[in-house]
This record gives sequence, C-alpha cells and structure tokens, in this order.
Amino acid sequence: MQIRNLWPYRWLLLNFLSREIKSRYVGSVSGIFWALLHPLALLAVYAVVFTAIFKVKFPELEGHSFILFVAVALWPWLCFQEGTQRGALAVQNGGGLIKKVAFPHELLVYGAVFSTYAVHVVGFLLVLAVLALTGNALHFSSLPLVLLLFCMQLLFTSGLALILAALQVLLKDVEHFLTPLFMIWFYATPVLYPASLVPQQIQQIIALNPLSFFITRIRGLLMTGNNQIAWQDMVMLVGSLLIFLIGRWFFNRLSPYFEDFI
Amino acid sequence: MRTPLISLSNISKNYPSVATGGNRLRTIAALLFKRGEVPHFCALQGVNLELKAGESLGLIGENGAGKSTLLKIIAGVVKPSTGQVVVNGRIGALLELGSGFHPEYSGLENIHLAAALMGMSNAEIDSKLDSIIEFADIGSHIAEPIKHYSSGMVVRLGFAVATALQPDILITDEVLAVGDESFQKKCIRWIEGYLSQGGTLLLCSHSMFHIQTLCQKAVWIHDGQLHMYGDSFDVTREYLTYHEEKNSKAAHFERVVQPSGIYTIRKFWLENDMGFVTTVAEMGGVLRICGVAHSPDDRPPVILFGVVRVDGTPVYGTHSNETAYLPNKIAPLQYGFCIRFSKLQLLPGKYTIRAHAMDPEGLRLFDTVTISVRIIGQTRDYGLCRLEHEWMPAREDFIAMEDN
Repeated sequence: MQIRNLWPYRWLLLNFLSREIKSRYVGSVSGIFWALLHPLALLAVYAVVFTAIFKVKFPELEGHSFILFVAVALWPWLCFQEGTQRGALAVQNGGGLIKKVAFPHELLVYGAVFSTYAVHVVGFLLVLAVLALTGNALHFSSLPLVLLLFCMQLLFTSGLALILAALQVLLKDVEHFLTPLFMIWFYATPVLYPASLVPQQIQQIIALNPLSFFITRIRGLLMTGNNQIAWQDMVMLVGSLLIFLIGRWFFNRLSPYFEDFI
Repeated sequence: MRTPLISLSNISKNYPSVATGGNRLRTIAALLFKRGEVPHFCALQGVNLELKAGESLGLIGENGAGKSTLLKIIAGVVKPSTGQVVVNGRIGALLELGSGFHPEYSGLENIHLAAALMGMSNAEIDSKLDSIIEFADIGSHIAEPIKHYSSGMVVRLGFAVATALQPDILITDEVLAVGDESFQKKCIRWIEGYLSQGGTLLLCSHSMFHIQTLCQKAVWIHDGQLHMYGDSFDVTREYLTYHEEKNSKAAHFERVVQPSGIYTIRKFWLENDMGFVTTVAEMGGVLRICGVAHSPDDRPPVILFGVVRVDGTPVYGTHSNETAYLPNKIAPLQYGFCIRFSKLQLLPGKYTIRAHAMDPEGLRLFDTVTISVRIIGQTRDYGLCRLEHEWMPAREDFIAMEDN
C-alpha cells in the first residue's frame, strides 16, 4: 500500500494514539505521571549505584554531573526499547480488530510506537527543563536537531517494530526473545558509559549499533552543543529511512495473512 | 445493465495449518517469497457471486460452511487465496458482536473508535453522534465501559454506528439475533428503509424468517462451495428441507414409553395411497397414518393422534372415539388402525405426528409414539395449513359499513 493511501485513515491513527496513551494509565490514579516516574526511578537507581557506590569519573563528563550524562541518553533509549516492544505486540493485541474490521494493520504498530515516543519525548523535555533549572549547562540551541534525531530514531524504531510485529503474529517466540535481546542491547549501547571508554577491539562492534549513534549524537548535541552536520548524519538518515521502508515491505507482505494466524 | 457492486470470481480460501513450529517457518517463507506450498485446509472453494446495487442477498448454510469467511472476504478482512474480489462502494460491515469495540472504554469512546475504523473523520462522527446514541437507545450506559454491557447492548451500539455510516453495502453476520424483539424490529425497519432507498444488503442469518422478509435472493453455502443461488423463498425452503432430511435420518421412529400389560401402539408408520411406507408427502396429496395397537384385555383401544410442527406448535389433533371408529382386530390382542388424509392441507415443512393408545373408555393415556413427516410442495402461503377459501367480488353495500 502506498503511504498516501493511508491518509484517509489519519483519524484512525489519531484514535489509536490516544487509545494507546490512555490505555496505559486507564484505571491508575496517577495516570500519565507513571510515564515520567518509571524513567526517573531508573535514573535514581543508576545515580545511586554509579555515583554513590562505584564513584565513577571519566573525562567525558567535562564537569557535568553523571545524572545529566545518563539522563540525556536514557529517554531516547527508553523511547526505542519501549516503542519496539509495544510495537512488536501491537498487531497481536489488536487481533480482535483485525478479525472483524478491514483497515491498514500497520496503523496498530504506528499507534504503539508513536504514542511511546510522544509520552517519553514530553517527559524528556520536562526533565531537560528541570536539569537546566537546577543549574546544569545544556545547549538548548541544538534542541531542533535533537528532535530531528528523535524523528530519525522513530523511523528506525517503526521499521524494526513492523518486522517484529509481523513475525510475532506468525511465530509467538518473538515476544520471549525480546526481553533478553533488549537487556543485552541496553548494555551494548553507551547509555551508562561514553563510547570512548570501550576497549579498542570491540569499539567497531559498538559503532555498528545504530542506537549508539543516536544516543551519542543526542548527548553530544545537548552537552557540548556540537551541531555540525556530518556525513554520518546523512548515512543514518538514509539508513533509518531504509529500515523503515524494508519494515513496511516486510509487514505489508505478510499483513493480508494475519487474520489466518491470529 | 448496472455494474455489480460486488463481484467475486472463483474465490477460494485456504487456512494454513500451523500446528508445528516447522510448519510456521515454512509458511512464513512461502508467504514472503510467494512460492512453495503451504500446508492448509480449505474453507471456501471456487465461489462466484455478483451483487448489484439495490439487491439484497441472504447467506445461509450450516455452521462451518464458510459463510463468515465469505463475508470477511467481501468486507476485506480476509484475503482470498485465489480469485478476485471487486468491490465498488463503501462497505459497512458488522461481522461479529461488537466489531472494533474495546471492552475497557465507554460506549462513547467506542463509537469514536468504531467510526474511525469505518473511515469517518472526527467532525463527521461528532455530527452523527446524537443520532447514533438515539438509535442505540441504551440510556446512561453510554458512558460506562463496554465490558459491563450485555451482548444485546453491544449489538445495539454496533448497529447504530454501522447505520450512521450510510454505507453503499451493508454486511451483517448474524447480529440481529442477539437484540431483543423491539430492537430487532427497529433494525428490520431501518434495513427496509435502507433497501427502499436503493441500499444493498448482504445478510447472513440462521433465521429463515429474516432472510425471507429482507432478501430477494439467497445463497446457500455448503462445505465451502456455492450450493444454490436463487429466489430467497426457494433457497430457504430447500435448505430447511435438507435439515429435515438430515434429522429424519437420525431418528424417524421414536418410542417414548413401552411398557407391556397396558394399551400400547406396537407399530406405527406413514404410507401413501398405494400402501407404500413413506416419510414424505406432497401438499394436497394423500397420506395415511397406520399402526397396530396392543390391547392387554383384547378390547379395541381408542386411538388418539395429533400433528405438531417441528417447533412444537400444535396443528390438529383428534381421537377415534369422536367418530365411533373401532380399530379392527387383526390378530389376538392386536388391533390395526388407519387414518387417511385425502387432501393434505399442511404447508410444506417438517411435522411430527404423535399417536397415543387409550383404554376403551378413553380415560387413560398409556403410550406415545411419534413419527416425522416432511411435506413438500410449492407455495407462498404462510402459517401451518391451508384454509379453504375463495376470493369474491365486493358488493355495493360494503360502502355502508362502519369504518374501523
């Protein structure tokens, strides 16, 4: 299906989005604040473990606090991890609809991924504001570029989620395989440490990790204000777009058969 | 000639059988690269069908015959394995209870979701919200989560949303059955209005009454194949006959009580005028009910019989005392009887004939035996049996009669 054929379904996507956001917090008292509490709790744990217990110090901090260092990377990572995981299960969870109504199935995945990004990007901006108010030096001038990087990462996440969602319908194994995968992926991504601390031998492998690009770039933009656009950015833009298109091809190739398997 | 709104050519649907992991992997590879055989079972086979604007088509068939699969293919929910589906128009499909409803959300939120699924914009939904709520008529429950609704209320809401869309083609799959009497009537009225305005209907139902009243034509799907297509009356009659035959094979002679030492009916059968045993009779033809009763004290028993429609509605009953008929003695303690209908006025369908043996005083009922009979014939009459009548010219003094 051509992307422009999805236009008449924009209201449906909107509906899925609000439904996804609401459904997470329907029935919970604190509602949407859970979205902020979960990463904040993670951040607090890392802060205690690494600054109070391990007392880490590395030159890349450049006078910034470790909390800031982790915070600017944690939210982009959570966007990716949660977005992919929710997206991967979106089709299976929307099985009731797929069996009864004809609509572009990919919208279910977009609804899950986009809503995760919406919730966490808002949380991210709030945290950045709080960090800036508490005296951390942040380069807000590069914020538009940061948001652009979020968009690229969103394309990448959607592409990956589309592939996983289609596979999940046909092979129920995907769900179980994702939890260990993301645990390894998290530690293989420079969220808690700078990429430069990685030993020379495996630095090549870390560099192949697309997330390490996104996270290092976002961190660099906010902490050092380095907003020079380099060829790597172009490669990543094209790469993300490619992943998204491959994901769509894969998904839409299999989506007519979803009803048979759900 | 009008172009068909829906045209199906040579539609087949195979469902993959994915019992094992190996099957699943092979299926994925085959689907992605469009080659290789997928292990499957066949739900529909070679169906050709056309539906023109303004037509109404009923879909009947046994459970598992492939009706719902066919509707899903037309609605675009399922992709056929072979063949082509061409649909020209906006489809409103009510495939199952509460299509597209989310149990956690209130009725109102679900209206928005279901309408968005049907391709309506927010503004369009808001403008129709009042009429949807009014049609659904579920009162203040509209603000409660769907999971607390009864199935009838869910159907009300679903139908209300589907009707608000004003679809070119309305597809409903056995959803009317859940609504209560007044809501069913409301839906049927709506569908009749919709049809009279040129709407097109595809109705799947096990209620032959709904098919006959709402559809001009009907299709009978049997074992995934199109078994019969034609006038809805003809198709439903054939279909009912098929079911009756199926049941009569299972049990056409059933003895309920059989103690000895009392008056009992030992043998009981139906025959035609030539004396051949039968279970089928033609409307307006001859049918004989025959039997042999056992009498413990060798006095002729009283025979009682009744005709009951399959659903239990009594049609007619009488006993031999009424006409002073005495069964003839054909052997010691054995009395035979025979009842002849010279012009059987039962309408086509399936009936049960019951016979009872009573003591000669006609006081005590001892025994019940039943037998099924299928009446065949071509008629558009309604009811149980034909009443003798003729149509007369009106007299001039009719005008002087008081108005009702």
